[in-house]
Amino acid sequence: MASYSITVNNKKFTVDADPAMPLLWVLRDILDLTGTKYGCGVNDCGACTVLINGSARRSCQIAIASCVEQQITTVEGLSEDLTHPIQKAWEKVGVPQCGYCQSGQMMVLAGLLNKNKKPTEQQVNEVMSANLCRCGTYHRIRQAVHLAIEEINSTN
Amino acid sequence: MKIVSVDRRQFIKVTSLSGAGLMIGILLPGIKSFAQNTPDCEFFQPNAFLRIDKKGDVTIFVARQEMGQGVNTSLPIIVADEMDADWKKVKVEIAPYGTLPEGSHDTGGSQSILLDYTQLRKAGAIAKAMLIAAAAAKWKIKPEQCAADNGSVVNTINMLTIPYAELVCEAAALPVPAEVSLKSPKDFKLIGKEQKKSNLKDILTGKAKYGIDIKIPGMVYASVERCPVLGGKLISVDDTEAKKVAGFIKLVTYEGTGSPMQVRPGVAVVATNYWSAMEARKLLKIKWDEGSKNKESTEQLFKNFEARATSAPAFEKYKKGDISKLKITSLNSIISNYSAPFLAHATMEPINFIAEVKGDKCELWGGLQLPDWTVGEIIKQFGFKKENIKVNLALIGGGFGRRLHFEFAIETINIAKQLDKPVKMICDRTDDIRFDNFRPANYHRMQASWDTNGKLQSWDHHLQTTSIAITHDPATKDPSENLGGAMEDFYYDVPNVHTGYTHQDFNITRGWLRSVEICVNVFPIECFVDEVALKLKKDPYQFRLSMLEGREMFKVGEGPGAMKQYPQRIADVLKLAAEKIGYDQPRMKNHFIGLATHSFIFAKSYAAHAIEIEILAPKKFRIKRVVAAIDCGLVINPDGLRNQMEGGIAFALQQALKGEITIQNSRVAEDGFSTYELLTYEEMPPVEIYTINSTEEPGGVGEVGLPTVAPALCNALAAAGYRPRTLPIRKEGFQWVV
Repeated sequence: MASYSITVNNKKFTVDADPAMPLLWVLRDILDLTGTKYGCGVNDCGACTVLINGSARRSCQIAIASCVEQQITTVEGLSEDLTHPIQKAWEKVGVPQCGYCQSGQMMVLAGLLNKNKKPTEQQVNEVMSANLCRCGTYHRIRQAVHLAIEEINSTN
Repeated sequence: MKIVSVDRRQFIKVTSLSGAGLMIGILLPGIKSFAQNTPDCEFFQPNAFLRIDKKGDVTIFVARQEMGQGVNTSLPIIVADEMDADWKKVKVEIAPYGTLPEGSHDTGGSQSILLDYTQLRKAGAIAKAMLIAAAAAKWKIKPEQCAADNGSVVNTINMLTIPYAELVCEAAALPVPAEVSLKSPKDFKLIGKEQKKSNLKDILTGKAKYGIDIKIPGMVYASVERCPVLGGKLISVDDTEAKKVAGFIKLVTYEGTGSPMQVRPGVAVVATNYWSAMEARKLLKIKWDEGSKNKESTEQLFKNFEARATSAPAFEKYKKGDISKLKITSLNSIISNYSAPFLAHATMEPINFIAEVKGDKCELWGGLQLPDWTVGEIIKQFGFKKENIKVNLALIGGGFGRRLHFEFAIETINIAKQLDKPVKMICDRTDDIRFDNFRPANYHRMQASWDTNGKLQSWDHHLQTTSIAITHDPATKDPSENLGGAMEDFYYDVPNVHTGYTHQDFNITRGWLRSVEICVNVFPIECFVDEVALKLKKDPYQFRLSMLEGREMFKVGEGPGAMKQYPQRIADVLKLAAEKIGYDQPRMKNHFIGLATHSFIFAKSYAAHAIEIEILAPKKFRIKRVVAAIDCGLVINPDGLRNQMEGGIAFALQQALKGEITIQNSRVAEDGFSTYELLTYEEMPPVEIYTINSTEEPGGVGEVGLPTVAPALCNALAAAGYRPRTLPIRKEGFQWVV
């Protein structure tokens, strides 16, 4: 066990954890930030996607020891009132069914758009296809992705 | 007074009143007894389904379990419409377990709207009647001189209004009326209008709490190693190394139990956090006695199916005419065999559950589609008194029938009773896939014959599978799935029909998966009818219509459980799908269209799919468009309906293209999403959903959008010259590109 000081959604936290403990379980079991979901734990589904310094990363694959002095953003940090353009797009389209995978879906798109505000269709396909949705909301995710891209490019 | 029997609800009296809608007697168990009112007028709660507080917020309690299918929106719409609530003021909560009669929480079979439509309208109408009575008393006018609109009572004489919020105290003091009138459907304001999911904001901000997100003070976490073979036993476990993991609390073992839920013996590591529990579990040294049924394989099971295919079915399901009297030769008949594999639910929220046992009391947290059955089994297995079991139902991150089964609840109680703390058991993804209750593998021998005019004269369908019913009750007299299925309600007009069922034993737990036997049977039926049409050089679309259109309703089954089959409605959805995809239009080179239609009889809904593909090379294709047409009677929430139908296409395409669970040495070979692959974002084809305008009673939707997807795709491939008969089609060498 060791003590780690981490920054999540612009707030500082000190957590006592095994250095190898994945960020996912620190967020969920220690910090009670349960918007980040456990889907597989082995990098297969993307449900646990968060932003680290603005890049989409799978929190099940990142040990807490490597999170110190990094800026971590979870779905709770997008906005609390649906003002983030990605949340807005997801709301407008009414994407979710069960909703379990949707924080990961939004976070992976946020990571892509942080890097590239005008991704090609192929870049979008590549990134979004790594995040799974069992309810099959892909048709709506696609609509929301395009809406979010439009919105982000019109406001900036 | 006319007594109308509403399915499974014998207690509803319906009286027709001219011009005033319906008068419905309040004989609803539970409604009256759960009227709650507080002396300080904090809220008005005339029944278990709704509450209005002094701010005017309307809380609607949803008894059916929300798992993505949208009951947390469609059911409140029904209540809110009838009480003329302001939808913006509606909040939705899970109805606490125990506040409603048995069965109220059961969620499956696409039944929620069917079962609840009338009683929810009644619940809303009662509230409205009491609010109107309260306003009328204030105004000193008759209730008939009042109306309700958007959260207020209106005085129709002077058009003054009083918001419901200001009537809470007075309404709460009134007796619950003995009879209420229901709206005429033409006055619906919310029903039929698009509404977004009631918990949309919570989902998108990460606030929605699924079962896996619930935290109870003092809670610990468990990860469980289960016996790899069903029917095996634990010999020994060595936890010397596991104990060294930081956070390790305790090792707990428990024995397996048989039907109904086939709990396997388990070794649970309990730790202060889930990750530590998983890490410690990896270090356990366990010896299992696998028992004698440890060599079974799906490869052998399908060989057994094949060998048994030509013998008579063990159970006759349906017989019409007499096939044995016909002259059937190789010249006037064809035979084909179709098969599909075991399938897993693979919900995105891995299976998990929370239990706390304190002496003779037990408290549970988590998603359960059949909580009453669960509680009943818990009483049987653990001896708790019913009143000592508290159930806290939770939002479910994908159901598809997975939580109709509840072996995980039994497992978690087995662990919790050896602890003095609440425990959350979580399956890792491998556990979740390997210890699922699998949709059974199935094999169909189909034979059809025709007369000299090319008209079908016989249809023979022998389904072989491994029974779900036997998993739950090995002593069952009829192991065939009993909710109709496409075999008992075969909808094409053929004079001689014979369908039958044979069960083969197999050592794996079987269970219900979205659309269950309807998917199982509609795949071979809709492919084979297409195959016969092509053989007879007839257009598959017109061939189907010739056996559906104009055909009268017929009953399936007998007595009060009989269901109605409307071939015309099956034809109508097919026609809509064909029209929208442009079936009669010229096609681009290498483009082919496949169709399939069906009735989802026990959900009282009908759906068809039309799929256009482009052939790129032999057996290599791209899906260009998927068109779905549905008739589910009156639509409550068109947005929810479309979402279900869109998702149904994805769910069914996964099964058509790649979903397969294989068993070797009585163990599931697949261990996660890399081996049990789901459909992906880029694989989702363009989809269009069309609805038949209908005022028929509302039917179910959740499962209805699946069964015709795989056959429509296979029929498109067959139109191109490649007839698949095995799901997933990649087993036959088919390749698809995005």
